[in-house]
Amino acid sequence: MPLTGTSTRSSLWREEGSTSMRALGYFIGTFAVALILGIGSAWYMIERGSLLTTAHIGPWKSWLSEGNPNADPYTRAHLARSGRLPLTSTAARYFVANTDSRGSSLSAGCEYLIIGAPLNARWWSIALYNEYGSLIANPSKRYSFNSEEAIRRADGSFRINLSRNARPENWLPSGTDPNRSLMLVLRVYGSRDTDISGIGQIPNDRLPKIERIRCE
Amino acid sequence: MRVSLPGLYIALGVVLAGLIHVVAVLTLPMLAPRDAHARLAALGPANTMIQLPAAAPGQQVMPMMAPDVRYAVCRYDLSNGPVRLRAEIADELWLVAFYTPLGENYYAVIGADMKQPVIDLIIATKDQTVAEVGVDAPEAFDNVVVVSSPVVEGIALIRAPLAGPSRGAEAERALKATYCGPHKSSSPDPSGP
Repeated sequence: MPLTGTSTRSSLWREEGSTSMRALGYFIGTFAVALILGIGSAWYMIERGSLLTTAHIGPWKSWLSEGNPNADPYTRAHLARSGRLPLTSTAARYFVANTDSRGSSLSAGCEYLIIGAPLNARWWSIALYNEYGSLIANPSKRYSFNSEEAIRRADGSFRINLSRNARPENWLPSGTDPNRSLMLVLRVYGSRDTDISGIGQIPNDRLPKIERIRCE
Repeated sequence: MRVSLPGLYIALGVVLAGLIHVVAVLTLPMLAPRDAHARLAALGPANTMIQLPAAAPGQQVMPMMAPDVRYAVCRYDLSNGPVRLRAEIADELWLVAFYTPLGENYYAVIGADMKQPVIDLIIATKDQTVAEVGVDAPEAFDNVVVVSSPVVEGIALIRAPLAGPSRGAEAERALKATYCGPHKSSSPDPSGP
């Protein structure tokens, strides 16, 4: 035993220089990978959300505890980054769509039909933005349709045409640039259906469908 | 037991990645330079009501602002005492929401829930007492709500959703009549602006 012990020690002593260099290299490599993984996973969970923080209903995504003082750290970071001041879910619900109902990205190069069922709320609004949350300039200065403005059918349902060129009924213009990515935000104030904690509930099948009609 | 060297580095990498992940998520709210509080602070002083321009292309104080809601904001600072907020709500759609600088909506007044169309409240921290303030006019003080703010500096945001097309000017006029300012205990008449 003492023999093997000394031999191991002597071999370690001999290789110490190159081993410590290699160890340093491994350590730096490990650290770089850890940095990318740590920041990357944090960014993803803050920007895109996860099953813990967001609900996905068709094309719509909703941060469950946005604006809530007891929100989880991911939701808080998401909110701080967004620069917004949303109402907590007992007063309002927000749903954001970056895709149509089939999952393709919303683009100003395409024409869409938003088909909505009646929403049981004091007020709601569907607004169109570019991917950064800015409104899109158009000659008719139409940026949204709300519960008071949208032309509705006898049963309370509504259809909104989202396109660059003028359309009858409710037309939401998507500007002149066909390469622009689009984002729709549905805000529902004072939902009349609530759960036991007072959070506004919108049945999944009541959220509007976004159908792509054609692309240029 | 012998742990292989690559295994050790993988374990170290995973632990480090986890630590970096946690630190990044927890510090981001403090580090975000363009959060809502910073955007609103650029508009004007604290303890006054500031009407936000109607959201339009290239003219948005905050991203994703509703184009069919008119907003007025009071960035309050309670370090010199409580702050009074008064608003005659034009219709039941109005909402008054209170935020910490991190954007936590800690309290909200919903217009539709109000018995009277007047919102009159005092924002104070837990340490500040407002009870003795109204002794001169106790009957006028009955309808005043005290909002207990968890932070010394915060935000009160009034939302006026438009109840129909071309109602913007009307909402802006109503918002102009709202008041936010220091609540002076020496003031004999708390109902005057």
